[in-house]
Amino acid sequence: MEQHKSRLGYTLGMLSLFLCGAVFFLIGFFPASYSVAEDDSSVPGGRPTSLHGVKLEPPPPSYDSFILFLIDALRDDFPNATSMPISHSTACEKLSLHVDIPTVTMPRLKSLTTGTLSNFIDIALNIGHTEQLEDSLLHRLKKQKRVVSFAGDHTWVKLFPSEFTRHAANNDSFFVNDFYEGDKSVSKVLDSELQQEDWFLLVLHYLGLDHIGHVEGNTSPRVQLKLREMDEAVQKILEHKKSSNYLLMLSGDHGMADGGGHGGNTPEETLVPLYLYSRNCSKTTAGSKRYNQIDFTPTLSVLMSVEIPTPSIGCLIPEMLQSMSLEHQMYAYFYNAHHLLNKARVKFGHDQVRRSDYYTWYQNATLLHKKLLQPLREGGSGASNVHYQNAKLNYMRVAREISSLLSESLVKFDYGFIVLGLTLTTVTSLHIVISVLYLDLTQQLQLDSLKAGQLLISLAMGILLNLTCHGLDLILISSTWHSILLTIPITLSVYLTFDVAQALLKIALPPIYTRRLKLSIPLPLPLLACFAIRTLTLGSSSFIEQEYKTWYYLGNSLILLTAFRTLRRRITKANVELDGRHLYTVASTCLWQLRKVFVMLMLLTLMRYLHRLQAIRSTITIFSLLLLWARLHHHNQLLQSVASGAALFLVYCFRGLNGQVQFFELAPYLISRIMVPTLVMFWCCLALVLVLGYLAALPQTKSFGDLPPRQVLLQLLQTNLTCSLLLSALLQKVQNIILLPVLLVALQQSYKLCDVFATSARKFSVRLVHVYKIILTIFLARMFYFYQGNSNSLSTIDLTPGYIGQTSYNPVIVGFFVTLNTYSAEIHAFLYLMVHTLRADLRNVGIMQLQPPYSIAADSLIVPLYAALIMLPASFYLCLMVGFRYHLFIYSVFSPKVLYDCYTVLVFYLVFLVTSLYFKLFKNDA
Amino acid sequence: MERSTTVISVLVSKEQAEARKSEGENCNSLDLNMVSRFDQQKTKHQLFHVSLSLATILLCMAYMQYRRNWAHLGSFWDSLVVPIVFLGELLKVVLARFYGRVEDGVLSLKQRQKKSSYFTPKEILGGITLQFLCTLLYAFICIILGAPVLGNYEQTFVLALLMTLLTVSPTVFLLGGGGALQVCFCEKPDFVTKCEDTALNLFKYNALGGILGAWAGSVVAPLDWGRDWQAYPIPNVIGALLGSALGNIYACTHVLYATAKVYMTKKRS
Repeated sequence: MEQHKSRLGYTLGMLSLFLCGAVFFLIGFFPASYSVAEDDSSVPGGRPTSLHGVKLEPPPPSYDSFILFLIDALRDDFPNATSMPISHSTACEKLSLHVDIPTVTMPRLKSLTTGTLSNFIDIALNIGHTEQLEDSLLHRLKKQKRVVSFAGDHTWVKLFPSEFTRHAANNDSFFVNDFYEGDKSVSKVLDSELQQEDWFLLVLHYLGLDHIGHVEGNTSPRVQLKLREMDEAVQKILEHKKSSNYLLMLSGDHGMADGGGHGGNTPEETLVPLYLYSRNCSKTTAGSKRYNQIDFTPTLSVLMSVEIPTPSIGCLIPEMLQSMSLEHQMYAYFYNAHHLLNKARVKFGHDQVRRSDYYTWYQNATLLHKKLLQPLREGGSGASNVHYQNAKLNYMRVAREISSLLSESLVKFDYGFIVLGLTLTTVTSLHIVISVLYLDLTQQLQLDSLKAGQLLISLAMGILLNLTCHGLDLILISSTWHSILLTIPITLSVYLTFDVAQALLKIALPPIYTRRLKLSIPLPLPLLACFAIRTLTLGSSSFIEQEYKTWYYLGNSLILLTAFRTLRRRITKANVELDGRHLYTVASTCLWQLRKVFVMLMLLTLMRYLHRLQAIRSTITIFSLLLLWARLHHHNQLLQSVASGAALFLVYCFRGLNGQVQFFELAPYLISRIMVPTLVMFWCCLALVLVLGYLAALPQTKSFGDLPPRQVLLQLLQTNLTCSLLLSALLQKVQNIILLPVLLVALQQSYKLCDVFATSARKFSVRLVHVYKIILTIFLARMFYFYQGNSNSLSTIDLTPGYIGQTSYNPVIVGFFVTLNTYSAEIHAFLYLMVHTLRADLRNVGIMQLQPPYSIAADSLIVPLYAALIMLPASFYLCLMVGFRYHLFIYSVFSPKVLYDCYTVLVFYLVFLVTSLYFKLFKNDA
Repeated sequence: MERSTTVISVLVSKEQAEARKSEGENCNSLDLNMVSRFDQQKTKHQLFHVSLSLATILLCMAYMQYRRNWAHLGSFWDSLVVPIVFLGELLKVVLARFYGRVEDGVLSLKQRQKKSSYFTPKEILGGITLQFLCTLLYAFICIILGAPVLGNYEQTFVLALLMTLLTVSPTVFLLGGGGALQVCFCEKPDFVTKCEDTALNLFKYNALGGILGAWAGSVVAPLDWGRDWQAYPIPNVIGALLGSALGNIYACTHVLYATAKVYMTKKRS
């Protein structure tokens, strides 16, 4: 029976290749570093010393010491007269800075110190490894042997391991439960540094505010307390430095979104304040002017009298230069314009620069500048203010123009990798779709088997293609070994392209067969339409931003449609015998039979308003834990139920100890002492559930024959599902726990509905049931994914669950927890589908045991179809991305979505990997 | 909006002209070939029916164009769309009765029974109950599909009423409550006369178009254009109207196609 062959291996291979292709695409679309593609060394360095033959002197530093006071996630409206009274009232200048995406710390620090835009993919590298920078403000300071001291976020030290004279970094900048300890140590360093007074630049980076935002949101009362604490630190510096000539800069690296996260591009995240304090300043400006964060670097370089870092493409901030003399200000403007012009020359070529508008402006400005120099040096009385303003405006105009030109041209794509990645993803998803659609004809289409001849030809072509690409410089790789390895993906994509092309040809023109190739899987029109709509809406940025609306709408529509069609079929069927009499009774009876579906729909609607149920969250938590326990109780034995009940009780205790739900009033020291044992006991209960489940499934080898292998497999998968649900209950936010049992209820009801729908049809088709179930599972999973508060913006990733029960930052555990929490709906929906399919028995809906058995389809049909339906939209989206690569919203809307999409496939891949392992191990086909 | 109105009006006038033309031709050639399967009465009925529904929708569009304020579309007392559609549906039923007059002589027993029980209190009550329940059901569906749960009740009610008027009401007006249920759920109820069958067939297109249109109308909701007509019931109301217009046009093309075919065969013979 060919159609019942397991397709796990095949699906696994396709998924792996798809992910491989996605990785290639990402590498090509977000080249890891701009500096590789751009030859920076050819930009002439050093400060200009002459202007049209007149000798120029670089000005000395304007201040004796500089303090950069960075507060992580300080958004523009945080410092105000009530939250930070001293900082707000004594500031000389209040500016706001616009930061670029991605709004996470590491790329922002790069921008602050180098003055260039950062790469989008830095967001991923933010968590993992950090490459050291080649050139920055701090490098230049080190060259001048200035003393630079630092305290705060560890990321700085990773970026600049040897540039600081002294550094006292927090051990753990990712441990978000630490609100106060890290900041206290920074303040301690501040005290000692204020005593020492030998430093030229002091960088302080406070992380507490960001952590509070991540854990408690931007409206937490602790935010105000933290701001007050920061205010006190600022006050300390101001009082201590009263007499000396200093400049204190208070700013944030990025803002904070409503809700507390960051990473997206809302104004709350991209606007940060920049407050300046110095000894004697005139407080003049009322309205806050807006500059870019990259402007900070060249301005600071000029003030510190160091060279502007080569990668810098920012303009100057005039408000910061007020303290300099006119001559020195002119020099600063000239120097930055000169620097940018040099960069433009390297980038666009001399000829193009000479023909451009900004070059004329630059010429005008330098001539005026030269004219001004003489009177300025003689005493300033003869200097014409008009000339000065004119020259300044021209310089700034040049800088702004070149800066925007350079920022645009920084976008680079590596088309070789993009094409390779795109081919791989598209071909694999097409391959798996064709192979699933023509399930019974795979032998005819020759899709499953590996053909040696074709592989050899592909290998030859792959090598040839690889060589050509390298010859034509389409693919740039530094190491030869990697180039040789690249042949493998090229070969595979060529091989699969052959396969798909052949299959498509055979489908389009059936060669000798008398009949056309028929689809093996029924494709009901409504499902197809919903799926197509969902895929096509990926092309619009507003639909991506509000993707949850699409899912809620389509998912509910599908369920409603199925319910009504079932209703109609049932009434019609009942009517045939009654011949039109008692129609009202029949209709109302049938409607009553479907009541559970309508209750489920109401529940699904209610879930949308979950965030409004904050006020009664204790009740909801108890209710949802009980509901979850009742759900789990259904298919567990007694002992297991007791253990899972205990685990859920401990979840409530844990939340109560954290103060998130009502609980006994306990002394704080007691709470901190009980917390860890509670979690340990929870883990023990979880382990007990797991062990009991496995024990029941795997009795002694002698009696193994009693239980059919499928039962063993079912038992094991069920235990896995139970454990993962329990763990999720611990990780989920308090008001989100209800989603777990509701997801189970919704899935069960919709599966029942599918069964009833199919059995009420004239001709029963098992595959139709499967298709309906799979599509409904995908839609429900996505709906619950969004109910949970997720979105396509990176700022909604909830980091708190990663640190439950953790005392330090462990990337693996945090990653696992956060993933399990974020994707809990998708993971559990898939697991539940597998369990349901294995358990399903159609006898209870009136169909006797069919041949082939209903549940055998789990690995031959459901898994590949599910995978195909996951992969197809993702690959379509990757194609769209290439089309949209110059779109205005490419980095703010489309790119985060592509990361989410690829990660979704990866999560599915991992879950699938584990599940298929169980299938391989325990499904000894009897 | 203006453009769509003009497009529809152009379409309508074209179709009516065509219909008139073909009818005229048919009348001339009718005596030539009496044994045709082509039913002149039925075609006339169908075309009048379709033009009636298109006229209703045109009237709604004209009214909306006249008011130029979208906010009133969702309010019950201020929106004339519901009464206009209601009148249109009533007229359609009258039309069906008018064409059904000729068949009065050849009715079967059941059909006669059905006809005589049309104005009994029981039937009227049943019909009203059925429509009321349908309105409730539509409101429920609206809320399930994303209408605000707490608030906008009036808008939801108007939309539900409009959907009921476009889908269920015509059938109920024509056959009464029980009859409508039977038509919906039985294979082929034997009390339906030929003329009623014609009307029911057209009602089907009207209803399908209305439902699909209202469903598809939601597509503009997530877009970030910031227009005032993107507010909740407006795109759905307009979608329902346009959808039923399209459904009618589709039905019309069927009729016209059939007419044209008959005309061609006659001309050839």
